[in-house]
Amino acid sequence: MTAARGEAIAGVLVYEPPAEVGVDDLEAVLTRAFEAVRAALERGEAVVVVLDERDVQGAGDAAAAALAHGLLGLARALALEGRKPGWRIAVLAAPRELDEDERQRWVGHLAASGAASGALVRLGGEHVGRVPA
Amino acid sequence: MTAAIVTGAAGAIGRAIARRLLEDDLAVVCVDRDAAVADVCRELGAGATPCVADLAMPEAPERVLAAAEAAGELAVLVNNAGITRDARALAMTPEDYALVIRVNLVAPLRLAEAAGPQLADGGSVVNIASRAALGNFGQANYVTAKSGLIGATRALAMRWAPRVRVNAVAPGLVDTPMTRAIPPAVYEKLVARVPAGRAGAPEEIAEAVAFLASPRSSYVTGQVLLACGGRSVAG
Repeated sequence: MTAARGEAIAGVLVYEPPAEVGVDDLEAVLTRAFEAVRAALERGEAVVVVLDERDVQGAGDAAAAALAHGLLGLARALALEGRKPGWRIAVLAAPRELDEDERQRWVGHLAASGAASGALVRLGGEHVGRVPA
Repeated sequence: MTAAIVTGAAGAIGRAIARRLLEDDLAVVCVDRDAAVADVCRELGAGATPCVADLAMPEAPERVLAAAEAAGELAVLVNNAGITRDARALAMTPEDYALVIRVNLVAPLRLAEAAGPQLADGGSVVNIASRAALGNFGQANYVTAKSGLIGATRALAMRWAPRVRVNAVAPGLVDTPMTRAIPPAVYEKLVARVPAGRAGAPEEIAEAVAFLASPRSSYVTGQVLLACGGRSVAG
């Protein structure tokens, strides 16, 4: 399983938002994400949304933070709606410098776990001492 | 005179916010796409100025800020305007998803970005998010937008500190004409899930906004105040 941007692989869609998104891009990017994620869930695939931990903290650009939190909200809403049909969708927030193998392990855990649907896992420790997302 | 902008001021919550900020001696520019906002301002009395603008249009911030400049030194921006287009995720059209993102997320972010340089030192931005940002059934678009607005709140708070504070209020079920349009049986079920045992009043949301807008909250920035009668911690 490899984490390719917006691409479904082996029954899992690993969705990463594009970098360098501005305010004027938000509507289109989020709408495309909604359609891609919904289609994957309908196909019975698991979805893992992978975010940059800095954007979840709100440490960077406002549009990037809006996008990251928007995707987090989308995942939570779909996890709630997907309880009966058993949709699996979770969010991983990881620092950019995180080891790729470590990142892949967590993507695999989240994709495999129905119990983790709707969950946000934040890696790297930077979130400790900060407000939860 | 110091001024405040309140968007969505023709609605029940927006009107209550405008009224409450007038009590704090702010001149209030009441923004709405509905021309009825002029009637609202007449009812609110001296200090309230209507501004009819569709915030979904890119040129709207310029118009709103011009109205604010005429009213006084801009001290407060309340991004309250919002819409719903509810549907189950599988039935939700991309158009309805996009529209809610445009109105509830892109528009307030555009207005905040435009207003930032004009806000006075010690100024305050209050974004109206929602408890639904934590997750809600049949509202994938609304949840996305309101959660996104919380992210933007944090980022703008960090960018503009210490000059301007940026916070959010996240209301739960509020008794408004919009929520009263929900079928009574469904409405009663929603009320039953609120530990406070009732829906909130628009004035209660306005009080939370007034606190975050005022120097009484001068050490608070980047935060979300959940005004939901305890619904966000209920089982």
